[in-house]
Amino acid sequence: MGMEQVVLLPAIPAAIFVVLALFSALLPRRGDWLAILGMAVVVVLALAVAFHFQDFFALGEFAPGGENAYAFDWLNLGNGTFQIDFSTYVDAITVVMLIVVSVVALMVMIYSVGYMHGEPRYGWYFAALSLFVAAMLTLVTAGNLMILYFAWEAVGLASFLLIGFYWERRSAAEAAKKAFLTTRIGDVGLLIGIILLWREAGTFDIQEIIHFAEAGGFDEKYLTIAMLFLFMGAVGKSAQFPLHVWLPDAMEGPTPVSALIHAATMVVAGVYLVARMLPVFDVVLVARDVVLYTGLITAFMAATMGLVANDIKRVLAYSTVSQLGFMFVALGLGSPTAAMFHLFTHAFFKALLFLGSGSVIHATHQQEVEHLGGLWRKQPITTWTFVIGSLALAGMIPLAGFWSKDEILHAAKDNLPVFIVLATTAGLTAIYSTRLVMLTFFGEPRDRHAYEHAHESPPIMTLPLLFLAGCAAVAGFVVYDGVGKALGFAGGIGKLIYGHEPETFHFDRDLATFALAVAGAGIGLGVIYWWGRAERATRARSWAPELHALLVNRYYIDDLYQTLINRVVLGAAAVVAIFDKRVVNETGVDGGAQTIGWLGLRLKFLQTGRIPNYALAMVGGIVTLSLVAFYTS
Amino acid sequence: MSPNDAYLMLATFLIPLGTAVLLMLVPSKERSAIIGITALASFAMFVIALYLFVNYDFEGPQFQGVKAWTWMENAGVLGERGIQLKVGMDGIAAPMVLLTGIVIMPGTWVSWKLHHRTKDFFILLYLLVAGVFGTFVMLDLFFFFLLYETAVLPMYLLIAVWGSTRKEYGAMKLMMMLVAASILIFTAIFAIFTEAGLGTFDLPSLFAADYDPRMQKIFFPMIAIGCGTLGGMFPFHGWSPDGHASAPTAVSMLHAGVLMKLGAFGIIRLGFQILPEGAAFWAPALIFIGITAALYGAISALRQTDLKLMTGFSSVSHMGYVFLGLGTLNVVGMTGAVLQMFAHGVMTALFFLLIGGMYDQAHNRDIPNFSGMAKQMPIWAIFFILAGLASLGLPGLSGFVAELHIFVGVFRAYPIVGGLAVLTAAITATYLLRMFAAAFFGEFNPRWSHLHEITWAERAGAAVLAIAILTLGLWPSPWVDRISTTLAQTIPGVAL
Repeated sequence: MGMEQVVLLPAIPAAIFVVLALFSALLPRRGDWLAILGMAVVVVLALAVAFHFQDFFALGEFAPGGENAYAFDWLNLGNGTFQIDFSTYVDAITVVMLIVVSVVALMVMIYSVGYMHGEPRYGWYFAALSLFVAAMLTLVTAGNLMILYFAWEAVGLASFLLIGFYWERRSAAEAAKKAFLTTRIGDVGLLIGIILLWREAGTFDIQEIIHFAEAGGFDEKYLTIAMLFLFMGAVGKSAQFPLHVWLPDAMEGPTPVSALIHAATMVVAGVYLVARMLPVFDVVLVARDVVLYTGLITAFMAATMGLVANDIKRVLAYSTVSQLGFMFVALGLGSPTAAMFHLFTHAFFKALLFLGSGSVIHATHQQEVEHLGGLWRKQPITTWTFVIGSLALAGMIPLAGFWSKDEILHAAKDNLPVFIVLATTAGLTAIYSTRLVMLTFFGEPRDRHAYEHAHESPPIMTLPLLFLAGCAAVAGFVVYDGVGKALGFAGGIGKLIYGHEPETFHFDRDLATFALAVAGAGIGLGVIYWWGRAERATRARSWAPELHALLVNRYYIDDLYQTLINRVVLGAAAVVAIFDKRVVNETGVDGGAQTIGWLGLRLKFLQTGRIPNYALAMVGGIVTLSLVAFYTS
Repeated sequence: MSPNDAYLMLATFLIPLGTAVLLMLVPSKERSAIIGITALASFAMFVIALYLFVNYDFEGPQFQGVKAWTWMENAGVLGERGIQLKVGMDGIAAPMVLLTGIVIMPGTWVSWKLHHRTKDFFILLYLLVAGVFGTFVMLDLFFFFLLYETAVLPMYLLIAVWGSTRKEYGAMKLMMMLVAASILIFTAIFAIFTEAGLGTFDLPSLFAADYDPRMQKIFFPMIAIGCGTLGGMFPFHGWSPDGHASAPTAVSMLHAGVLMKLGAFGIIRLGFQILPEGAAFWAPALIFIGITAALYGAISALRQTDLKLMTGFSSVSHMGYVFLGLGTLNVVGMTGAVLQMFAHGVMTALFFLLIGGMYDQAHNRDIPNFSGMAKQMPIWAIFFILAGLASLGLPGLSGFVAELHIFVGVFRAYPIVGGLAVLTAAITATYLLRMFAAAFFGEFNPRWSHLHEITWAERAGAAVLAIAILTLGLWPSPWVDRISTTLAQTIPGVAL
């Protein structure tokens, strides 16, 4: 498959979206098979792209930076003055994203057949998922920042539609709105950043911008500002502090959607964007430091919030935010390989965890951990796959998360403060993931009713779980050259991602031992603490009530924003609205009309109807005009 | 475009004019005859408009399909070719003609359900449309102004007779403000005629004439304010929200969709094309007014609960973008301004069509009274969301294409204003999504269980407008090519 045909990848789900959105009611099974079939084709094509790419690499023909393929001019004003061409760009980062997006999307769609069975708007659900996949694939193959922005907004729209899938629920409608508006704030920055880059470089083409920046074409201050604006987009989409507030609420969407969009793919778009533009960030290190510290703050904060959340999906949402923070830290340290590697492994184990939680919710209709417990007897497959995902998240050897987290810690080892925060967060990760597993699957059932009715999910749901559990177990091994070669990726993940300057995997025995010790301590602590009876689950909050309240209330950030919106934004709006009504309208327009009316009322008395009055006025006029004429001539 | 297309341009305003006359002869009781005649006429207008747009060859001369019939010459102040009926189109008029053709067809369809003096309504509506088409294709300043006024005047009766909520007040305010504004245009037209000293109202000759820069600086603001008032320019927008709120559906559609564009079109034709130096001098003022209006309208809209008032303020905000684009004095930004005229036209027409379709049944437009309406009227809600997404600048829909050009143009000239303009788009998203969440989603309020889905005529009309929104959004080249070439050719001093 040539690179010119990459544009087919998004075209297939896009076509399926149109068909399903318009005609799903006419199709058997509302067309779910069509969406899945299309997705399977996309997986095959994505693998074909990967192998083709690898051929190039192996033969030594691989051009540094990847392959640009021009598709068509979308817009061309004044012969290139303002030009947007629909071009695709494929390099190792794209390949990783293509595999992640297509494989996880396929699993989620298969799982959804079971999970969404009997839901109203079943056809629309698959249509919206296809729209999302089309937009996401466009995003990762775009060779042009404007096309990327296009897709960026389109994935946001799909996310909005799917979070609000159960729109009859007020909370879902509000969550969809919050997600859209919060990410929109980031998108304002992204668009400004893109236009600022265009203003100097004169092009939207990503590679040309990178070359322009590397050649020193930008003023440094200007570029810093532009890149910070660009980064705002990533902060919004990837739910980083301070725009992280929408992601936990986004859990109102159907669980498979959370797995696909709000764990594995869309939320990593920000990571992808920064990784894609990293050569430009490398030119202005101030901006790269902002990426680093944003990621660090987010990773830590979100992990602490994950410790106390009670909704099984919310714990996973905080975990996602925290893990995305890890990826940004890696990017901020200038190690895109580590970031993309973690993105790759995280996609599998987090999708697995979400689908596992969906299986629990499907069986018990409960998602508060306080009402769960002891499910391992009822749901063995869900439990053990969930445990695998959870251990991978905690960073247990030899599961996928261990390798990629170790890589990020390795990148941070020269920066002690960052390293300490990361290691602490890794410990917290182990604790909260263990807490979640213990409370959900082990111990005494706390809600007998939910427990009695629980059952293992049908195979159409457990098979994706098993597949993803397999991925979560082995995805980390691609770091080894041998494994990479066997899979067709000569040189493993390091060379795959940064082929032109091979970055080999750094396996440091001491560091790995330390990381394992932290993870093991966290897991051990979690198991010991939450093992056993129900009251343990709730006892934690009495240990430090203020701290617990702070964390449960998410550091009061959501409340702060709500107050700001209510008081400041709507307050300003009220002032402007009143100004418009009273000053512009009643004083300016109506007032003007009334003044004329009033003048008419008064001045009509000049119209006396008496000839002498008019004669006098006439004489006065003649005299005045004569004087004017006399003095001006 | 062949010279014979001039007859089609003539037809664009002779058809509605003829229809209006024909309708006078039809007895009011013959509803089916009225519907048949208007269906045919509106379809013919749509087809001709589409044909003219497609056939405008942007690689050819600026004005195409030019033909003139002299009316008066060599009399009094008039010299050679004094006043002529002269038609012709450039790349700016072409999309405007298309816009009018697109809006009048659904506007006609949704008006068939009127039962009060249907015939008289159509006579006035078609008179208005004749004026709009005429202004866009006219290349003679005298007829330009005559038809401009023809387009404005029927508004008064249309609102005062067929309107709702404070209709007399809305109609009177609108009329007073627009007539007062016309006085400014009238004055400027005579100044231009005198200063050119050619003894002709022929527009291409007036474009080519020389004007004293001082005179240009004095009279450009008159045109900008005069035409700008019709374009809803802040702070002369007072008529717009009230006027929209009280007008009947089709009138709101045509008014916000097309008539406001007439104002912006006037600024380009009379201001930028005749008085370029005046325009260049006052461009920063346009930028200031544009960004103020954009922010002001958007922030005001946040606080509105009446759907039509919200859309009205939204229009003020979106028209602010038009003035912003015009003020950039570069081709990208000004192309964006004309694109925005088109994009806002189809989008607002869709908004008003949908609001009308609901108001006719519910007799209520207050957002807090509604909840979960997507359950009762899903098709209505889908179209509404589509229009809303176009309005907040979602890529792939018309609004984004226009806004992108404007943002880029403004960033070239004034980066900070550009930042504010992008921010406005976020505020737009805020008021629209608040409205969606409140009115369409959530639990259904059973108070509205007697409402029906919008009628087939409304669905068809909404579909026409939705197709226009998607076409411009996904394939903007036909518009951009025509507009940008003309702007680069004709407005001296405009940078690429």
